[in-house]
Amino acid sequence: MEKSVDPDFASYVDARQGRWLRTAYLVYGDLERAEEALLHAFTRLSLHWTKVDDPDAFVQRVLYQPALVRWNRVRAFPDEDDPVKLALAELTGAQRAVFVLLHLEELTEFEVADVLNMSHTTVHGHGLAAFSRFRAALGAGDWRDAGDPR
Amino acid sequence: MRREDIRPLLYQAADRLPEPDLADTAWAGGLETRRRQRRNVVIGLLAALALAVVLAIGAGVSGSRNAELVPPPTTPSLPPGHVPPEGQIAGIDYWLAPPAGSERFLDRVYTPLGDRLGAPDDVDSLTEHPIENPAALMLEERNGRYDALLLGGDSTWARADLQLAPISSGSPLSSGAVSPDGRTAAFPQPGELVTLDVVTAEVSRYPLPTRDLRSVAWTPDAQQVLVSGPGKAYRVHVRGGDGEQSVVAIPPSANPASITAPFRIERDAVLRYRGNGEWAVDSELDLPVRTWVGQTFSTYTMTARLFVSDDLQQVPTKASQPQVVAAISTLRALPSSLLVLGEADRSTPAMDPQDVRQPGCCAVLGWYDDYKPVIQVRGWLLAWDVRSGRVQRVTELAVDGVALGPGIRP
Repeated sequence: MEKSVDPDFASYVDARQGRWLRTAYLVYGDLERAEEALLHAFTRLSLHWTKVDDPDAFVQRVLYQPALVRWNRVRAFPDEDDPVKLALAELTGAQRAVFVLLHLEELTEFEVADVLNMSHTTVHGHGLAAFSRFRAALGAGDWRDAGDPR
Repeated sequence: MRREDIRPLLYQAADRLPEPDLADTAWAGGLETRRRQRRNVVIGLLAALALAVVLAIGAGVSGSRNAELVPPPTTPSLPPGHVPPEGQIAGIDYWLAPPAGSERFLDRVYTPLGDRLGAPDDVDSLTEHPIENPAALMLEERNGRYDALLLGGDSTWARADLQLAPISSGSPLSSGAVSPDGRTAAFPQPGELVTLDVVTAEVSRYPLPTRDLRSVAWTPDAQQVLVSGPGKAYRVHVRGGDGEQSVVAIPPSANPASITAPFRIERDAVLRYRGNGEWAVDSELDLPVRTWVGQTFSTYTMTARLFVSDDLQQVPTKASQPQVVAAISTLRALPSSLLVLGEADRSTPAMDPQDVRQPGCCAVLGWYDDYKPVIQVRGWLLAWDVRSGRVQRVTELAVDGVALGPGIRP
């Protein structure tokens, strides 16, 4: 491992860090935690930079795993008054990760299951529950009415 | 709200975040992590090594403690070929030698002397063929004079350019003629001592005040020769005697062969030679001795001589007197041993009357190693292991007399 940063690694990080910071911010509900998790994921990638076949999958698996811990009681988006952020704060960590990856990263449920190391059924359930609670938190009614325009 | 409405909402919520620059920090963090991993591996290996050392020391300490407390489960093993002693004579274990006539069938000790020691047919001159480490010395009589023949450790013979005169007892060959370092041979001659350097073939003559000289023996440093005749004995410096008187009279013995060093066995005691030419009592002996025969030969721990005994209750004989080889330990911690040269049962049909071991037939000639004296028993040389009691044959003798040198040892 060279002491100076690998140019390919620098280019790779520069191209993705902004997008993944936004995703991580919405998943963790805290900018500092999101930056910390993203830096940890890129640091792990630097250790295996020349050996990893799919760097995107590697980083995303490392990036979102801490958000799935069930006993993590840190509240997301504290001291926020944005209704979208407050609605995301109503979700559990796993629901929020599935919800953001499905709707912001626009991954399929199978891709989310692979990134978060869950079964497809679990991802589907978390997606439905998250969507329902998000809509309810925004005052948009039951998810079964989602197809009806308001 | 529809699903496609969610993405703009999320974009808007995450808008206006600062642009990070993580490449350099992540790469530096990777370097630090790699360094920490290597350091942990080294520390782990050192810790494992230290633990192993501590466990080994602990096992050793506990093992040695156990060794002190727990006796060994088996008794010490006896030497190979151990023969139990027949009994005790004067408190010393004794063994019986194989009967006369059976020497040929004993296991053999391999030496440069070969299977049969006789006069050689083809001999080089000692000046042309120096003998570095003589195994044996013998004399060959020619026209009333004696030639010295030397057998080297490589089983080659050499003849010295030396004509020896007979002495009053016959052949001028003593059992202790060869020096302990194998460099020089000494011969008693009428009125003088003659030495022969076996490497350079140089002959030296030392005149002595007595004409009747019969025996020579070397001191352990191979610097002095003890020459003795009936009632006379002298110590002669043959090497390294500069500044000292070359010939000094020392206390004599009635039997010239008794004068030996560093020990001599005589008068029911083992005597230790002292530097001033006298002997001091080293230990007392209580053996049934009638007469001592031959010279005394010693190692660092034992000294051996043969004696003719009075009738032994333990080993009755009819045709001869029992003869006994006494191997006396000069260290208090080691036991002494005896080997009785008895006789075969007269009722044995194959018993040859000529095989009877008459007094004078036998003598100790030296030591094969630290625990095996070599004994001349009629026409044979035998080696007796004083620890196991086992007797082996060295060679068959086809000559009248022989003196052994250090080259006989392995």
